[in-house]
Amino acid sequence: MFKKVLIANRGEIAVRIIRACHELGLSTVAVYSEADRPALHVRYADEAYLLGPSAARESYLRADKLIDIAKRTNAGAIHPGYGFLAEREDFALAVQDAGLNFIGPRPSAIAAMGDKAVARATVTAAGVPVVPGTEGEGNLCDDELIAIAPKIGFPLLIKATAGGGGKGMREVNDPKDLPGLITAARREAESAFGDDNVYLEKLIVDARHIEFQILADDHGNVIHLGERECSLQRRHQKLLEESPSTFLDDEMRMRMGELACTAARSVDYLNAGTIEFLVDKEKNFYFLEMNTRLQVEHPVTELVTGLDIVTEQIRIARGRKLRYAQEDVHLNGWAIECRINAEDPYNQFLPSTGLLTQVIPPTGPGVRVDTGVYSGFEISPYYDSLISKLIVWGETRGAAILRMRRALEEYRITGVKTNIPFHQNIMDSHRFIAGNYDTRFVEERFSMDEAQEGKEAEAHIAAIMAVLVAHRQTQEASQIVRRGERDASNWKWVGRWERMQR
Amino acid sequence: MKYFATIEDQNFEIEISSDRELIADGVRLSVDFQSVMGRPVYSLLLNGRSYEAYVYPTESGMEVLLQGDLHQVDIEDERQRRLRKASTSVKVQSGEFQLKAPMPGLVISVPIEEGQGIEEGQNLIVLESMKMQNELKSPCTGTVTRIRVKTGDSVEKNEVLVILG
Repeated sequence: MFKKVLIANRGEIAVRIIRACHELGLSTVAVYSEADRPALHVRYADEAYLLGPSAARESYLRADKLIDIAKRTNAGAIHPGYGFLAEREDFALAVQDAGLNFIGPRPSAIAAMGDKAVARATVTAAGVPVVPGTEGEGNLCDDELIAIAPKIGFPLLIKATAGGGGKGMREVNDPKDLPGLITAARREAESAFGDDNVYLEKLIVDARHIEFQILADDHGNVIHLGERECSLQRRHQKLLEESPSTFLDDEMRMRMGELACTAARSVDYLNAGTIEFLVDKEKNFYFLEMNTRLQVEHPVTELVTGLDIVTEQIRIARGRKLRYAQEDVHLNGWAIECRINAEDPYNQFLPSTGLLTQVIPPTGPGVRVDTGVYSGFEISPYYDSLISKLIVWGETRGAAILRMRRALEEYRITGVKTNIPFHQNIMDSHRFIAGNYDTRFVEERFSMDEAQEGKEAEAHIAAIMAVLVAHRQTQEASQIVRRGERDASNWKWVGRWERMQR
Repeated sequence: MKYFATIEDQNFEIEISSDRELIADGVRLSVDFQSVMGRPVYSLLLNGRSYEAYVYPTESGMEVLLQGDLHQVDIEDERQRRLRKASTSVKVQSGEFQLKAPMPGLVISVPIEEGQGIEEGQNLIVLESMKMQNELKSPCTGTVTRIRVKTGDSVEKNEVLVILG
């Protein structure tokens, strides 16, 4: 059984995994790129080795070097974290072939869930509902698509098979527009991807993105740890997650949770994973995809269930049986996570790089900050813009929101711009407070400039502070000129005075 | 010294009477104002009420991030206001050059003084950023009218460092 773990990742998640290992008495091996030499994961690990230049392609994505370092250091296992190589079947396989333990699912499950068509077919066969559509039915011609469309129902989406980023995507509300829009989508897909194949998918109106955390051991046990509400997104990037969701009741939670476990079983799943669902406003839900790894937002589940998911991952990888049965899992209170990114919410969320001159994270009851950076660390352009995850727990959702407001106001970061003001505005938004938001809320119904009560009093204070800073600058600048006016000490002045008197 | 601040369409008249006191729109207020983490975070005690904000210098004044809201504050002192009023048809800004920080960094040296004549290409500020020292040179000849930073200051991108008249 392994006693040393290599963490094939960086940033806050590498720190998170190192902490779990150390709490379990396992030693740790960190890897780093040239830019990350001063990073926290390098400082916290028992050993650390250079992978290569800063670009991920030359460092964190070098599977060969990772496995080589693991073998040289006698690390018995590799934890991939999220991103980078976490969902690469070939990497998981190479780790196993090298005689090492991969802390994650079997390569076959990664492969099955990684291919959207295979994933849809597999979970459909297991009785899990999927978003109705023609994906995975091969490349259909226009007439076939038009014939199938009424069965899917309107509104629907035309999506590019090779697609991504909204290219080649068309929304169809009226059946008579369908032929023209298929032609337009094909043209756009052809020019963007060199592949004009499209498929149809039912458009879920006012969709919510709700996912279930599952854990599966090597002894046939699969449990779920309840849901995470991840609908607060901007351009498909999650910004805030909470658990539980205001949208689910106990009955629906049980039903969705059971289906999530069924979906996991259908690919013989092992370790931690997440089943993502789209839920429409009539509370119909559809399987979207499975993430075969630890999620960024796992801490909200940890705070409401009291389980340590990373510790459980390691225990499962060591062949242990799950310590919890489904009936042992209870959701207690409410947890919210805000992703603190180095992005300027007042300037189209442009990434902001540079030296973090000061960082004072919030502390106190019910507050958790997962981060891999500190004052004096440089936010480089090589990796994602996540500075930290701020997670709070409260007895109720209301208490959690009040606590998050308090924590966001305490958080001080200087040197780069952050999206903290965005989160503060969300916490004040009536729709968010009412739990009334879907995946399009941020882009379509939220603005940083929205008028709020009490703004005039604030403007008054802002004006005073601005003037005080301007005044101070003027004074400091004029002191530079005046310096040297009296360069001699008072004693010298006395001496000169006395000499003059002689 | 009296200042005129504008936020969107709201105007504020603020007179700094001493280190400990200011008069805002005719109301006398006790002030304790300190930079708490080095710039740009400032702590203000105003008649005992505690406020904290990020204040970033901009071209025409300051940007204040207070309790999750960003305020653009335009500032003029009495002299600037008189000048502007006296020459309503002529732009006061004309012929002025503002040296702005091209990137965030640390001011290593300020080899000039206010009132000094400057040649084109003369070094105005040495700024360290991304572990490199950069000499920020003057693109024109002129006179230094204002130096807004000193050695050891860390500055934000686009912060005005020096103004040439």
